[in-house]
Order: sequence, then C-alpha cells, then structure tokens
Amino acid sequence: MFAVLQASPSTPLDAVVEVAQAFTPRFQVLGPFVLLDVGGLSALFGTPEELGGAMRAACPTCRAVALATRASAALLLACGHEGLTVLAPAAEQAALADLPIDVLIEVTQARLAASAPVAAAPAPSPSAPGTATTLAPSAGWRHPRDTHQAHHTRRPRARTAASADLRQALMALQQCGATLRRWGITRLGGLAALPRPDVHARLGDLGVAWQRLAAGEDDEPLVPWLAEPVFEDLVELEWPIEGFEPLSFVLARVLEPLAARLERADRGAVAIRTALHLTTRQAHVRVIPLPAPMRDPKTLRTLVLLDLESHPPAAAVDRVQVRLEPTPGRVLQWTLFERAQPAPEQVATLMARLTALMGEGRVGSPALVDAWRPGSCAMAPFAPATADGPSRGETGHVRSGDDRGPRAAPAQAALPLAFRRFRLPIPVRVRVDDGRPARLTTDRRGVTGGAIVQAAGPWRTSGEWWATALEREPGVASRESDEHRREAHGWSARDADPRFPGSDAWQGVAALADTVTRVPTRSQPWDRDEWDIAMSDGTVYRLFVEREVGQWFLEGVFD
Amino acid sequence: MAPSSSAAVLSLLQHHKLDRTLTSVARLTPPVSAPLGYPLLDQRLLGGVPRGQLSEVVGPASSGRTSLAWAALAAATARGEWGALIDTFDRFDPDRAAAAGLVLSRVLWVRGQALSKTHGALDPAWIPGERSVQGPGTLLERTLDRAIKALNLVAQSGVCTMVVLDLIDAPAQALARVPRSTWLRLQRVVEGTEIALLLLAATPVARSAGGLSIQTGVGNQEPGPGTREPGAGSLRMERRGVSHAGPVGTTVRWKGVHDRTRRLGGLSTRVRAASPRGYVGDLPLAIG
Repeated sequence: MFAVLQASPSTPLDAVVEVAQAFTPRFQVLGPFVLLDVGGLSALFGTPEELGGAMRAACPTCRAVALATRASAALLLACGHEGLTVLAPAAEQAALADLPIDVLIEVTQARLAASAPVAAAPAPSPSAPGTATTLAPSAGWRHPRDTHQAHHTRRPRARTAASADLRQALMALQQCGATLRRWGITRLGGLAALPRPDVHARLGDLGVAWQRLAAGEDDEPLVPWLAEPVFEDLVELEWPIEGFEPLSFVLARVLEPLAARLERADRGAVAIRTALHLTTRQAHVRVIPLPAPMRDPKTLRTLVLLDLESHPPAAAVDRVQVRLEPTPGRVLQWTLFERAQPAPEQVATLMARLTALMGEGRVGSPALVDAWRPGSCAMAPFAPATADGPSRGETGHVRSGDDRGPRAAPAQAALPLAFRRFRLPIPVRVRVDDGRPARLTTDRRGVTGGAIVQAAGPWRTSGEWWATALEREPGVASRESDEHRREAHGWSARDADPRFPGSDAWQGVAALADTVTRVPTRSQPWDRDEWDIAMSDGTVYRLFVEREVGQWFLEGVFD
Repeated sequence: MAPSSSAAVLSLLQHHKLDRTLTSVARLTPPVSAPLGYPLLDQRLLGGVPRGQLSEVVGPASSGRTSLAWAALAAATARGEWGALIDTFDRFDPDRAAAAGLVLSRVLWVRGQALSKTHGALDPAWIPGERSVQGPGTLLERTLDRAIKALNLVAQSGVCTMVVLDLIDAPAQALARVPRSTWLRLQRVVEGTEIALLLLAATPVARSAGGLSIQTGVGNQEPGPGTREPGAGSLRMERRGVSHAGPVGTTVRWKGVHDRTRRLGGLSTRVRAASPRGYVGDLPLAIG
C-alpha cells in the first residue's frame, strides 16, 4: 500500500515531509509529491480509509492525499483528484482510466525533477576571529543515490548537459501529449487499451512508459530518503583551559568520533567550524574551508590547532563546539601515465604549518602578473591537484615518463641565466665617466664595490606616468607605499623589535629608509635607465638610475 | 666473522639506519638521481642530484649557483614532479624563472625576509662579531631559523621531491652558528625518500655522506694574465676583447662590441663536483 501527499501553495514541501516522517521513515520526495510506503501501518491506524483520514487530518492544507496499492496509481490519483482519495484494489483501474492524459505529464515531470542533479553549494570563506559565522544549512535530507557519482565528481559541464537533457525530455513530454490528443486519446484508459508494440512503434520508449504508467504499473521502486546527519559535537569543560596543548586533547576527543561518523556515512568534511566559548561570555568562531573533502581526525585537529595558533582566542575556553560540514565522499581515479599527486590532506597540513610559520601570503606558488613594472609578481595558492602539467610551449621541454634516469632530463645546451632580485633595491653611489657607469661604491655587506669593467646599456623603461593625481597624493601614496613595502618585505607584527616599544620594526626601517633613499612604489610612476654591469671580481649586477632624482640602485645580481 | 653473524650485524645496522657507516657494504637499493637538465653534467654526475640525500651548490656570486638550482627545479617540474624553493631572503624572480623553464604552478615558493641595510642597523648580528644576547634571537637568526624549519616541514611532508634551500646571502658567521645536528637531522628526514635536497650557499655548509657537492666558479690553479685588485683574493682578472674573467673560471659573455649595442650574453663557468659515487672533476658550464 502506498500513499501520496501533494504539497500546495499554502503547505510547503518541508511541512509535507515532516508529516510523512511522522507516519513512516520510508518515503521519497518526487517534485511536489511525497510518496510513502504505508504497508504494515494497518495495525496502528486501521483500515486504509482510517489511515487516509489520519493523514488528511495531519496535513489538512495538502492539495491531495491518495492511497493505492501501487505507487504509480497513487501518484496519478493524487494528480487527478484533490482532497482525500482512497480506492479499493478492484476499483483502481477504473479510477485511473478516467484520469486525463495531462496527469502523465505531471507525474513524469516530477520524476525527472527528482532525478535532476543539484548544484554544489559554494565553499565557505574563513572568518575573522571572534565573529559569529553561520554555515550554509544542510539540505537535511538526501537521496541515497546522491553520492560522489551523482553529486561530487559531476563537473559543471556534466550538470549543464543534464539540464539540457531535462529540457529536452520536457519538450518530448509535451510533444507526446500533443500527439495523443491528435489521436483523440484524452483519458488514461484509452492509452492503456492500445496495443503496446504499436505504441512503441509510434511513440518510442516514452510512449510505452506512459502506457505502463496509465495502467498503474510501477517502473521504479520506492527509494527511501535518508536523513542527513549533522556532524556536530560539544564538550563542556569543568575548568577553563588556556593553552593549546590541553585544547589539542579536547579537539581529539571531539574530532575522532565525528571522523568515525563521517567514515560510516561515506562523507568527508569540506569545512570545519570551531566555536570556542570563552570565559568572557564571547564566542571565538573560526571556519576553515578545506581544499578537498577529508576525514582524517589527526589532519583535522592539526588544521584547527594551526589556525587557532594564528588566531588565538582572547580568553580561556570553557566550551568547545565543532561542526563539520559534510559532503559526499570522493573517489580518486587518476591516469596511469602521470605522476601520483600528493594527498590533499598532506598539502593542506603542509600549507597550514608553513603559513603559521612564515605568515600570511608568504607561502604559495609564484604567479606572473600582467604588468610592465620590473619585479612584479604574485602569489597563487599551491594546489598540486589542480596544477597543470607542463606543456611544450610553457617550458620548452618535452615531458618524459621515465624520471629515474639521466635521459629523463630535458636536454639543454646551456643553462638559463638566473637573476636574484633585491626586493628592496640597494642604493649605491656610482661614478659616471663619459655617460657610462665606471665605479660603484656601497657600504652594504655582501655587495661588491669597485671598478666596473664592463657595462651594457642603458635601457630606458617607464610606467605609471598615467596614474591619476589622486593616486599621487602624498597621503595616499605614503600609505600605499608602506603597505607595499610591508608586503614586499614580509614584515609582520611578530618581527616587532623590543628595542622600539610601541611600534613594529617596520616603522623604524621605513623611517631610516626614507631618509636615505627613495624607492619606487606601486602607485608611483617609474622612469629609469637600466644597466648590466660586470664588476672587477666578475659579479654581474643589474643597475638602474631613477631619472627623476638621479639615485642609483642595484636591482639584482645575475647568478 | 661467520656469514650468519655478519648478516645479523648488518641487519641490526640496517634496522637502526646505520648501515651507511659501513663503507664496504654495497647499497641494497640502486641510487636514483634527479637530473639537472644539463646532459654533460648529468652524465658525469651519474644521473644528477642524488635523491634521499643532502647536496649543496656553493660558489662565489655570478658563478651559476642559482642557475643550477633553477635548472634542477625546471627539470623536476618538467617531469611532472613538484618542487619547493625555500627563499630565505626573498630573492626569487618568478618572471625570469618562468622564462627559464620552471612550471610555476608546480613550485612551492616559501618567501622569507628580505633583509636590507637598515636591518643591519637594527640588528647588530648582521655585523660580524656582534650578536644580540637579548630576546629570542636576532632578526637574522630568526630568519634562518624559519627557513630551516620550513625546509624541515616541506621535507617531512613528502609533497615536493626537489627541495632547494637558498642560503646564498646568509653571512658565514650566521651559518656557522647553526648547529651541525640540524643538517644531520635534515638528512635523516629525507633519507630513504625520493626527495633531493639542494642547499645553495656561498661557502660549503653541509652535505650528507651520499650527497653531492658542486662548486661553481672554479678554474685553473695557475692564474692567467690579468690584474689583481685589493680584496679580490685569488680572483683572476683579464680583459680579452668583449669578455672578461670574473671569479676563477667564470667568464662573462657579452653580445655586441659597441658600447651602445652591447648586452649581457651569459656566463661561462667551470664547476667541480665531489660525489661519493665517483670523482667528477671540472666541467665547463655555459649559462645563458
């Protein structure tokens, strides 16, 4: 025995699902319909009429409640009749035969909508410390087939193709319905009475499926929906803890059961939400998006601890709450002809540790910037899983499958000449003879001074002279200049010098540097002449002079 | 000693990873190497930089140290491996590195501190013979410490198989203060893995027993004709047409003879490699 509840504009689908859950755990959502397996409920609710009455009483605003011996019949009856419909088994065929053809379209659309893929939710972004962040709520319910094959590994192109298939199927439904109307068939009984081979010859598989549906035959079994578990745990501490070491044990106690539950549910975590309730009655909330679904408790704990070390709570912790945002498990299948990629857990842990050690923005993959300013570069996330392989045009080499022998190395006639760039150009004094640099003087340790035995240049380069006057205002320029220098030189608060209380070391550096040199910054125009010079000891430098102020700098050394 | 006893001793040493102390015992596993991408040098080095070992490239400025490291990284990334560069003083130039053949998306760049002259004013440790005794250490010491810790993390993770630590601009006094056990520990971390660890420095710092030591900018013992300047040490100076010799064995090549059309053509240097697997000797190396 099956029952169908149909949602109405006044009764949303979630409310209908709650009603269905109150009667049986075996139910399936098909578009606006909720199909219930009510077999075996007679002991609780009595006859089918009494059961239908109980369901109608539980959901009085539903558009339709129908009970039948077969799922297809119940769906068709719910489409065709409003209110409560309970039929005896002997009367089902007659009741179905009087239904219009349009109910076939409606039922088929509901089944197609239920099988359509769901777009993946965007990954949460990391939150600032001390701010409350709300994760996107889970769907709550999921289809059992909503696994990695159907959800996670399906690429956008595949989803687009599936949507196109759905639109095409809906158009086919309308065409098939129009064809039946042209034949004069407006009721299900007329379609069910047609010879099946002829229907297949004229309408194809869809016509046969509709004919079976019109006869009340079930093509698909009921696939019960499962409740999406919430992976969240809370630990109340008897005494507040302050250090990270005791917090590590608490996190292990929280995360290990959660990871075990994830594994049992074939799920992985895509985000960790850690809420530390402090003794100051504030909540320190951190959300860590993970680069790939993972459920290793040690990795999760390490990531949480490293993040908390970078963003420590302001007071002692008396309650720890961890919530893992689940996603279907992932299946890795790479090609046999390329090198195995490192595990995302390894990479995520490594990047978290390096970031905690070196600072934000100091770890990643180098990236090129489409700019003419010398030394322009950027930092991209280091993601081996998405790193493209080298191409012939990118590297000039041909990839080789054998990496263990000398023959695997790309053959080169000469090594490329490397350049070591001074991020902060070194100011030097240069004596110019006949318009060419002749002698270089500097007191910088590690930089060679003396006679310049050979020089090539000058090559003039300029840019940003088109910058607006607003960008050149002293206040704006100086602020951006300071930020740029901090960024370029990696200064952070941790480098504050104890001998300069109340200010970090950068302020002292900037003050000293500004009195000695003028360094071109990001928003300022540059106009300079570059020289390649060879010193008497063979060191080859890139030298340039700022034409506006006549100051010489060393940009780097060829090595 | 009976064969069974020697086998038991050997097994015990292998269990404690001490079998490398026996020079007479052949390696159980064939040595594998990471090619540098320079056929002549790779051929003489029996394949390139040995994996699972700590190797070093040392030499004076403009002698091709960084070029060798870039070549190793470019060859590794071209093979589909992932490389890591611990850039202690933030000297890496991605633009030129990409032009040199590095696949940047396969390189993990760990940027350190770009120390400047004013750092020396703030940090007496930069001045030879002086060292701050207060606080957790000088800025230079912290910079080196972070770089070595980053190297340790990268090596332990096993994500990257070609790892380069750039210590070229570190003062020798600061490097001398790094405990020797640090390098031994790093060697033990990569031992048995396919990670090739490459150390760049101005002077020899450390290498493991199975590692490789490449010295760039070496030349003939007898200095050639030229002039000598104070402070140049044993460097050989000569002016020969449009090229001149810099460090011993290194020649700067220029293109063009006129002052206005001349440009840098590259470096010609000589490298000397010491390998436990055989004497390599001096090799000419063209850069650029």
